[in-house]
Amino acid sequence: MKIILEKELFDIKTYITNGGYNAIKKALTMTPQSVIDEVKKSNLRGRGGAGFPTGLKWSFIPKDKSQKYVVCNSDESEPGTFKDREIIHKNPHSIIEGMIIAGYAIGATKGYIYIRGEFVREARIIEKTIYEAKESGYLGKNILNSGFDFDITVVRGAGAYICGEETALLESIEGKQGKPRIKPPFPATKGLFSSPTVINNVETLAAVPYIMIMGGEKYSRIGKEKSSGTKLFSVSGPVNKPGVYEIELGLSFKDFLENYLMGMKDGVKLKAVIVGGSSVPVITADEAMKVNLDYESLSQAGTMLGSGGMIIIGDNQCMVEALYILARFYHHESCGQCTPCREGTGWIYKLLSEILSGKCKEKDIDLLYEIAENMMGRTICPLADALSMPVMSFVKKFRNEFDKHIEGSCEICQR
Amino acid sequence: MPKINVDGKDLIANDGESILNVCERNGIYIPRYCYHPSLSVAGNCRMCLVEIEKMPKLQTACSTIASEGMVVKTDSEKVRKARKDVLEFLLINHPLDCSICDQVGECFLQDYYFTYGLRKSRFKLENKNQKQKRREVGKYLVLDNERCILCTRCVRFSNEVTKTDELFVNSRGDRAFIDISPEKGVTNKYSLNIADICPVGAFTSKDFRFKQRVYMLQTTKSICTLCATGCKINIWHNNNTIYRITPEPNIYTNTWMCDDGRMNYKIVNSSERLTHSMINGTEYNKRQTVKQVFNKLSKAMDDKLRIAVVLSNYLSIEDNISLIYLAKNVLKTPYIFSIESNQQKIEDGILINSDKSPNSNGIKLLVKKYGIKDISEYAEYDIVIGFYEDIKNLRISLVKTILFSYKKSSYPCLIALKTYFETDGSFINWQGYLRKTAKVVNSPENTFDLHHFLMEVSHLFAVYPDFNFKGIIKDLKYKEEGQ
Repeated sequence: MKIILEKELFDIKTYITNGGYNAIKKALTMTPQSVIDEVKKSNLRGRGGAGFPTGLKWSFIPKDKSQKYVVCNSDESEPGTFKDREIIHKNPHSIIEGMIIAGYAIGATKGYIYIRGEFVREARIIEKTIYEAKESGYLGKNILNSGFDFDITVVRGAGAYICGEETALLESIEGKQGKPRIKPPFPATKGLFSSPTVINNVETLAAVPYIMIMGGEKYSRIGKEKSSGTKLFSVSGPVNKPGVYEIELGLSFKDFLENYLMGMKDGVKLKAVIVGGSSVPVITADEAMKVNLDYESLSQAGTMLGSGGMIIIGDNQCMVEALYILARFYHHESCGQCTPCREGTGWIYKLLSEILSGKCKEKDIDLLYEIAENMMGRTICPLADALSMPVMSFVKKFRNEFDKHIEGSCEICQR
Repeated sequence: MPKINVDGKDLIANDGESILNVCERNGIYIPRYCYHPSLSVAGNCRMCLVEIEKMPKLQTACSTIASEGMVVKTDSEKVRKARKDVLEFLLINHPLDCSICDQVGECFLQDYYFTYGLRKSRFKLENKNQKQKRREVGKYLVLDNERCILCTRCVRFSNEVTKTDELFVNSRGDRAFIDISPEKGVTNKYSLNIADICPVGAFTSKDFRFKQRVYMLQTTKSICTLCATGCKINIWHNNNTIYRITPEPNIYTNTWMCDDGRMNYKIVNSSERLTHSMINGTEYNKRQTVKQVFNKLSKAMDDKLRIAVVLSNYLSIEDNISLIYLAKNVLKTPYIFSIESNQQKIEDGILINSDKSPNSNGIKLLVKKYGIKDISEYAEYDIVIGFYEDIKNLRISLVKTILFSYKKSSYPCLIALKTYFETDGSFINWQGYLRKTAKVVNSPENTFDLHHFLMEVSHLFAVYPDFNFKGIIKDLKYKEEGQ
């Protein structure tokens, strides 16, 4: 099974000749409940970052006849993550097909694709894909004479990272400022336009057609028991072959680094890895060599699989500077609703720029850690956690580099 | 009705009630900034975080609905630390210039800092965020964005209460600030409520700021007399001067009040104020006035002139009873009239009533009790006694008038009255509730309580009233709060 084939499945003809849109044909012969059951059996977990079981998410939608929505989250904007873009480029029809199946399963007739504002080309691709699917009768009224209607609208974001958070995304589609909502109510009961809504990541939806063809049972045997299927990793950093890779979950990092990424660049030693996008805790090279790339192994190592945006950090990179860059991002992207996040991200950013330029004392590093600790788990959405986790792990694991900045003796960035 | 346990106490919650509300009803105070009982829940300030067993993270008490068996801790180590931390975050970019801030005394940032914070600032950096200061917002407000803690109460007020959507949060992160929709401006008639609900010194009242520290002021409960709604109010005063009026939120009539109602106190010391009775261009003191009016009336009675007494929807029940007494027992005239009030309706869907007189319903009850006619039935009188505001509504030709007023005007015979802030009086609002104004300041020397004035005139006629107001008012069919 491969979501991204070597060949590009850009247009509908190639997609169909490669078995595309067979999954929806199969799904339409089943009852919606059995489609959900099939996805449940596959143990597919959300690929956006939180890893929530997809089938379970779908089953929360009330079974009445009210208006429901399927929303595809294509607001991929976490530093280090660029896997969804690859799916949109290479296999856009699988997203559409996944959405139709999701719509059929939960009884929705309307879908939205919320696409990152900077994805201009990608938005055009999606528009074209939807047009093709409509022309071929896979979208619109009475799909394949089954009596099931489904339509998709593309909504483009305006550049806010926070709109990737599902409730902020819904606010944004509704035309409001992208600010996360308090939960509960969860989107499954009160989502888009106050209707029950399923929100899935691009990669999750793209996996659904393959599950339908293959059967949930068989899909669940790929990878590990609790981390089934394949996962895209978008790798950046000083490795010989950075890029997007689709691997079976459970592969060891060591194997991945040596046989897929072809090792580190000459003269650079591995220092640290941010495994699942910039918001997860960093792990050291030693820790990385012991982990497998699946949900369980990574959480045991104190980090998360996240979105699969893997950032490899070599020994030629100053960790303080790396954290400073992350903090600048999260400070810029905090929506400003919750006090700890609004003030905390700004404080951390300011403090880090002082530490970076050597204007601080040692106790400021402890303060930095404490600020991060005070932000953790105290806000409506996880954006505060997304900065505090890197800060805490960077300080804990690379304290010596922070100390060097206090002394003014960092030999990497010469500051 | 879920049962929950808060700090070891078993409490019963109403269905769908938040933890904050359950606690509040049972005397457990949870600090809050963004929560306001009359606005939607925003959950953004994170001040009301409490610990709930079986939940790994602290939860906001304002948004968490109480459910069966919840065990809540509002004063654990974890909760106290969270509050301290939130306060620290709020204060890092807040200008710590309390001594020149007008909110002192009613600032929740200050109050909570003393109750829950008390931590020396660890923010040692020079570069605090700077934002817009002293921005004029509408006719009555000044906005200082640097003091703002972005609780969004004001934004929700303009979205939910006035539904005018004038305010919004512009920008994001720690650059966020309260901004005004450029094409709208803050023109709603309730804008000063925003200064009330603002927990810090961001929104202040242009009229009140820097006049007095709030802790120097006394408050007296009273009612607003600007329309038939009869909002309950608090009058803030010191040294015989009124400084501001704020609503006294209640479940019967009002949570808010309108800007005009708040400015109503200005009549007390305004240049339009009638401080002496004026008869044919001459100022008279109290004793002289009574004498003059007595002479006028006794002459009219000797000449068998037709004297009409007009009850007023603007005057208290006591004053109107005295007018009826004067007409029936002193002047012995059959011409006692009432003026029909405007239709009573909340015209803007919030508080402002289309009937601008405070006591129409009181008059209706008196009319019933004493069988008084509407003035439109009659045409021609020699002397009309009444309240100056009503004169324009009288569809009769006027020969001579004796009018009561607290404002200067061009009528020939004006008796100077005390304002609603200088005397006690009973009014019945549009819902039928009996409410009283309170005397909060002393009146100018030569102004009258109307019923005292009428009694003094009666005395000169050697008529000595033998009734008490309480007894008469008690017999009227008004509603009492709680019924």
